[in-house]
Parts: sequence; structure tokens; C-alpha cells
Amino acid sequence: MPLYPGEKCIPGKLLPLKVINHKNDCSLNDFRLYKAYKGVLGMNVKIEAWTGIKAAVPVILAYMPLGLAFGVLANEVGLTVSEATLMSALVFTGAGQYIAIGLLAAGGSAFTIIMANFLVNIRYLLFSASLVPHLKKIPTGLASVLMLGLTDETYAVAAVHLRENEATVPYLAGLNLSSYLSWVASTCLGAGIGHMIANTDQLGLNFALPAMYTILLILVISSRKHLAVAIIAVVLCLLIAFLFPSTLGNLSNIIAATLVAATAGVMIKR
Amino acid sequence: MKMELVWIIIGMALATGIPRFLPVAVLSRFEFPEVVKEWLSYVPPAVLAALVAVSILAPQGIVEITLANRYIWVFIPTLAVAVYTKSPFYTLVAGIALMALLNNLFV
Repeated sequence: MPLYPGEKCIPGKLLPLKVINHKNDCSLNDFRLYKAYKGVLGMNVKIEAWTGIKAAVPVILAYMPLGLAFGVLANEVGLTVSEATLMSALVFTGAGQYIAIGLLAAGGSAFTIIMANFLVNIRYLLFSASLVPHLKKIPTGLASVLMLGLTDETYAVAAVHLRENEATVPYLAGLNLSSYLSWVASTCLGAGIGHMIANTDQLGLNFALPAMYTILLILVISSRKHLAVAIIAVVLCLLIAFLFPSTLGNLSNIIAATLVAATAGVMIKR
Repeated sequence: MKMELVWIIIGMALATGIPRFLPVAVLSRFEFPEVVKEWLSYVPPAVLAALVAVSILAPQGIVEITLANRYIWVFIPTLAVAVYTKSPFYTLVAGIALMALLNNLFV
């Protein structure tokens, strides 16, 4: 897409490098364009990708035991190693997969299994939408594909990172892909040789996720208003879970609490 | 590989993929009003707070606010480490080590 003189420059729009180098074409926005271009594809690829992979370490630590356990359970329910691995590779949703093998074992229909998965995953509509303002500088197709790697954990890590950093493809790919690969690999391992691996609770890994949520929550709270929103969300989600225990099955209590708490955050006087 | 299972897996892939893919694919072309952006900025703290609450106070899928819930006992020192160090690494090490200790002391 050549840029003719006088054409409006849109920061973040992907342009061929030679256009950016032609000062006359677009002098006012040159620097911003260059930054945007660099942010999408440029020389920081390695650093950004490593930042993403390093940020994924706690996620990976938490996924290993969960993936192993899923592999073992899937195996017990009658799935072969390749079937269990295929499910993790194409689906990548912890809770939904546990529900699926539970329903498979109980003889549930395909429709029930797929609907249950949809219900468990509705919250990602909200998670994905909340990242939209951060992803403006990434081509939409690429950004949408990157969102396929969203989980509670990668979302939390990314949301904290994006408060102070620009979203880049290598960062998001590094974070999401390494988490994804650990999930698929540990599923394969669990389905294959899982019965030989000792109880990972003894290693304390059952607290990996709660510990990660805790530090991310601390990092994301930057003002009293954020603190107020967080407290409202905690009280509401517990209240809903207490009154309607079934909401814990698909975490819809978290969605309901988030919708109300975020609205309260907007309405509280600054 | 059983064919019915493959179809179930494909259905699950769509059911989990569409809610993740669609919002960014559809909404990216719009510039959100400021108030919507502000609202969306409260989503991460609210979600994280709710996730902390659920993972500590309902670790087995039912609300369990009792002294026997060891997640609560490990959470308190872990929170202190998180607040003082602001470091994911130290927080994770502290939480996992304390939980390992409790899990091995009281089987």
C-alpha cells in the first residue's frame, strides 16, 4: 500500500519500511509510524518474545501438574494417548476438558459436551473484549488468532503487562505459545506415563495458580479505586457462589461479579 | 481414533475458540468511547480478585471458609510476600514451598 503525498497517516497502520524512510511522504507521523512498525515486527522481536516466555514460567509450572492429571484421567476414561493429546492441542481449556472427559465417562452426548464447553468459555468474550483497546496496533487477523491462546492465566499475565507496555506480537505469542505447549506436552506425558508419576500435591504445585493470581492481583491494583473494584468483586463472587453453588462449575459467578464491580468502578466518584 | 470423539473435539474447539476469537475480530475496528475504555480497565482487577477468592476459598469447587482449608493458611503469608516483594518469582516460591510443607506435614 503506497502512501501518496497528503494521504492521512494512521499510526499503527502497517507500512512497508521504505515508505517510513521517505521523510516527505509522511513527515509528521514518521516517528510514531516507525515506532508502531517496530512494535509489530521490528528488531525487538527476540527481547519481546523472551519477555513473554519468561512471564509464562509460572503459568507453565501450574499447567504441568494440571496437564499431567488431565492426561491420566483421559487415559482412565478410555482415551488413547493421541486422542488425549489431540484434545489438548485443539481445545486448550482446562476446565472444559475435565468436564468433557467426565461427561464421556458418564455417557453424555456430543451436544451436551460441546454446550458445556461453550458455557464454561463464555467468560472469554469479556476477557478478549477487554484487550481490544490494547491490540489496536496489531493487524486484526493476527490479534484474533493470538487470542486463541487466552486462558485465565495467560489473560491475567497479559492484562498486567499491557497496563504499562505496548502489546506486541512476539510478546503475546511467546506467552501464549509456551503456555500452550506446556499444556499439550504435559497432557501427552500424563496419558503416556502418568500413572508412574507421584502425587504432585506433595510438591505444593496445587498452590501455583492461587499464588500467581495473588501476585498478579497485587500488581494490577494501582489506585484506591482499583482496590475498591477488587473488594466488590470478591464479595459478590463469593456471595453468588454461596447462594448458587452451581455457578462455580462454569465460573459464571466471576463474570457476574466482574460486570457489577467494573460498573461500580466507573460510577464511583474519582 | 474414534470418529465420534474427533467430532466432539472439533465441536469443543469451536465452542472454546469462538468466544476468544470473535471479540477482537469484530470490535477492533471500532474506537471505544472513554467510558467504555475505563470500564474495560476495571475488568482485570475484578477478574483477578474473583479468581483469588475462588481459588483460595473454594479450592474444591464448593465455598469452604473453615480453619481446615489449608489454602487460607498458605494464602496469608503468600499475600504478605506478594505485597512486600511485588515479585512473581518470590511469591510463587513462597506459596508453593508453604503448601508443600503443609501437604507433607498433614497428609
